[in-house]
Amino acid sequence: MRERREWLLFALLIGPNLFLFGVFTYWPLLYNFYLSFVSWNFLRPRKRFVWFENYLDVFSQPQFWTIVWNTVIFALFSVGLTLLIGLALALLLNQPLRYRNGARAVLFSPVIMSGAVVAVVWSYIFDPRYGLIDQLLGLIGLNSPNWLGDPAWAMPAVIMVYVWKNLGYAVVIYLAGLQGIPRELYDAARVDGAGPWDRFWHVTLPGLSPVAFFLSVTSILATFQAFDIIKVLTNGGPVIATTTLIFHLYDLGFVSYNAGEAGVIAIVLFAIMLILTIIQLRYLEQRVAYS
Amino acid sequence: MDQLKLTRRQMLRMMLAGGSVAALAACGTAPAATTTPTDEPAAPAAATGAPAQVSQTGSTVTITYWGSFSGNLGEAEQAMVQRFNESQNDIVVDYQFQGSYEETAQKYTAGLQANTIPDLILLSDVWWFGFYVAGAISELDGLAQQAGLDFSDYEPVLLNEGNRQGKQFWIPFARSTPLFYYNKDLWAEAGLPDRAPETWAEFGEWAPQLIQREGNTLRRSAFVHPDGASYIAWLFQGVTWQHGGKYSNDDFTMTMTDPNTIRAAQFYQDTVRDLGWATLGQDINRDFLGGAAAAMMASTGSLAGLTTNATFPVGVGFLPKEANFGCCTGGAGLAIPNGIPDEKKLAAMTYLAFATNPEQAGIWARNTGYMPVRISTKQTPDMVAFFEENPNFKTAVDQLPLTRAQDAARVFVRNGDQIIGKGLERIIVNGEVPSTVFADIDAELTKAAQPILEDLREVEG
Amino acid sequence: MALSEEITLTRTLETSWRTPRLWRFAGYLAMLATVIVIGLPVYWTVSAAFKTTGEIYRIPVTWFPAEPTLANFPQAWNAAPFERYYLNSFITTLGGMAAEVTLAIMSAYALAFLRFPRKQLVFLLLLAALMIPVEITIVPNYLTVARLGWINTYAGIIIPGAAIAYGTFLLRQAFLSLPYEVIEAARVDGAGHLRIMFNVVMPMAQPAIVTMALLSMVAKWNDFLWPLIVTNTTNMRTLPIGIFWLRNSEGLINWGVIMAGSLFLIIPVLIVFLMVQRYIVDGIAAGAVKG
Repeated sequence: MRERREWLLFALLIGPNLFLFGVFTYWPLLYNFYLSFVSWNFLRPRKRFVWFENYLDVFSQPQFWTIVWNTVIFALFSVGLTLLIGLALALLLNQPLRYRNGARAVLFSPVIMSGAVVAVVWSYIFDPRYGLIDQLLGLIGLNSPNWLGDPAWAMPAVIMVYVWKNLGYAVVIYLAGLQGIPRELYDAARVDGAGPWDRFWHVTLPGLSPVAFFLSVTSILATFQAFDIIKVLTNGGPVIATTTLIFHLYDLGFVSYNAGEAGVIAIVLFAIMLILTIIQLRYLEQRVAYS
Repeated sequence: MDQLKLTRRQMLRMMLAGGSVAALAACGTAPAATTTPTDEPAAPAAATGAPAQVSQTGSTVTITYWGSFSGNLGEAEQAMVQRFNESQNDIVVDYQFQGSYEETAQKYTAGLQANTIPDLILLSDVWWFGFYVAGAISELDGLAQQAGLDFSDYEPVLLNEGNRQGKQFWIPFARSTPLFYYNKDLWAEAGLPDRAPETWAEFGEWAPQLIQREGNTLRRSAFVHPDGASYIAWLFQGVTWQHGGKYSNDDFTMTMTDPNTIRAAQFYQDTVRDLGWATLGQDINRDFLGGAAAAMMASTGSLAGLTTNATFPVGVGFLPKEANFGCCTGGAGLAIPNGIPDEKKLAAMTYLAFATNPEQAGIWARNTGYMPVRISTKQTPDMVAFFEENPNFKTAVDQLPLTRAQDAARVFVRNGDQIIGKGLERIIVNGEVPSTVFADIDAELTKAAQPILEDLREVEG
Repeated sequence: MALSEEITLTRTLETSWRTPRLWRFAGYLAMLATVIVIGLPVYWTVSAAFKTTGEIYRIPVTWFPAEPTLANFPQAWNAAPFERYYLNSFITTLGGMAAEVTLAIMSAYALAFLRFPRKQLVFLLLLAALMIPVEITIVPNYLTVARLGWINTYAGIIIPGAAIAYGTFLLRQAFLSLPYEVIEAARVDGAGHLRIMFNVVMPMAQPAIVTMALLSMVAKWNDFLWPLIVTNTTNMRTLPIGIFWLRNSEGLINWGVIMAGSLFLIIPVLIVFLMVQRYIVDGIAAGAVKG
């Protein structure tokens, strides 16, 4: 009886959220799933059912696998760097240092800046002839690579900007997580004679693990859908060096008006993310130390 | 416990605040629930920032006009709408900005399905055709007749682009062409004559005097190409024509592998790689203004901005020739949606006629740098005076009759511009062999053209 | 009372830390380096708002405005009805944020503390919402909103984005890492779920809730594409669209004015960040220890 009541409360609490998702998120996904089997340009009154033709078309394009690879590289490096540097900076800004509030605000400000503004600022920084990086490298006698114009350097450049823009997110979340670690644990560790390093490994890291788990899952999902920065910084180029799946989806859907093939990409993207998330829930969450 | 109670009160306050916002949101819903852009005058005065005090007689028709102009172009557009609204009492035009050309087109696409469409819409050169094929824009000849508009005074090159099988669907409004821009100071420094090069061969001779090297780095290039994202395929189009090639025929057969088209691509590759006097840049205006490039081809739409912001005198000229002269048009025009009441269509046509009449076309051209779309505009006293003050603008207008409508592959094939642009990046950036790349591009364009051809057969027979 | 306790607590913490001078110095150095690396592009944006567009296009970049000007600000402000945009942005941001925070607390509580068959699957279903790119939802949602008669209304802007997955996840993590004994004690005292939620869980999870609210605010405040698509008239538009309006549609981009305009967007959020960050990082110490 008590259990039933708990079930009901559960449904009541989570219901509104799920209902809204149903209407405005899951329904579009289902609709999109249907579109992946039709040939349609968003304008024609009739959609033609083509079975798996769109899937075959997408998978047989030689650039498709390059795009998948780009997506993986972008996600891997962006997430890795954001999580690691973010952790280091959060630990630093959690120290009782003066002016740390100002430093946190500086760190957070790129998060609020619009993509278009960010892109123009960075295009000056990356300029191979006059950019800031060129000037700095010049001090040690090196020439700047042509960051945004060279297929080999464009992806590192995009990753750099993405990490720069999103570090603030990670830091703020880590900071909130750090507050959740009870002070007594530190005190107890200190009483036991643990040094700073031991305290970090045995108190801070386990204490942060719930938040770190959250960050790793959501950051991966977010980088798979990172669009703005790529759009304004490189537009997926040079050639397709920085084209990721989400960018390809945009190209097919909103530029080429190919609803079917865009639908395929969306399904592929969804499947990849779902699998990664399930893996993380299965294997990573077991290591998370909840109270 | 003390603290907990406080938190609870805070929480309550928070919930209340949330509730009132929800209530506000609901308020927003009520009056607008019946609103679609087609049937309601959504506060035109507030919307356009114009104190359009039009007497609301019973016969007033309000039309919604979706456009993509922002910044100074947006202000010029609003000013024109205001002049129209003040000039008569029957029609009120409500100009609403909908984002870039792409976003405007996306929104119109969504609006067509939801039946929330405007009465007049601005569509760019690469978008109008898709809506024409979908039957989403009206044929304008009959409406023009009713509105007393005669097409014979429009620049024929521009007008004909919007004509299919003898019927007009798209009226030129904000049209541009590429121009050759050069930095007069650097020209003088190199001892070159104060004019644009007549031919690419001539420019090839000048270029080595314009560049500046530092080790392996080209600190200043003689010329800068835009990348695919900034529409290299638009500017390269004229260059292919100059070489005697083209992207495609009118019947959508692709001609990317035509030897002359490939020759043009080879030329572009050489300028950057073998000859080494040109670069490919993400922002050609910046390179030009900053003195990192001595010359470029760019839209006439940039003329005013470049002249005001440059620290050196800006020179312009016709595009250089190769085997021929070649220069394409660009920009946007106006169309009237299908599926709106005839009364609104006619009202939209009346505005369209006003916005492109010889006098207004002149004001628009002077305010924005777009080409005057009417032939007789060039003879109006205001325009003549303007030409005297701005000889560069006269050059742009003089080049107009020599321009040609764009190839189907770029403007009628969905994403054709970007497909060609990516191909050019492969050639210039990666140094791939032009004939191989353009064979790929030819195939890709042919495939992308298929669905359009199918639809076109249905529409045009 | 709680406040004074908190102060003494931090004070003891700081003194007991007894950071060696060298460490302290290294800390400040690291903070300075971070601020420079992350802050330089931010500084450039801010300084560009005081430059003429001509100067922004100059190469090489000028780091201090050569002829400082304030003209960009009135020019940006007068180009569009920014008062109205601010109002609309406040309404839609507050509305969206309130909805998200409420839904996230409810859902996270359910996921963290209530029993339900196959709860993990429900959690995954919520997470799935993070795997659906916004791009594919735009057209179907436009149609749904049109059918509801919400085009060009606040409801149309707010409600399709009101459901919340990442916030639910973040709060679930925070709730799970709360000391279980405290919740158990409240239950033994006879407190029901709602009471525990309001009186125990929410105060203790304050850093996470404030963080989530902040991030939700940033997302709503900066949202561009959906408000643009779903509104038709200037009087319903939000700030990011106003900034876009400052951009020339063809020809040269007047960066000076745009940078000035983007400060309109950034500054309110930065102020909020500065105001709330103490609730994220300093607020909980007392609560957690009190238990």
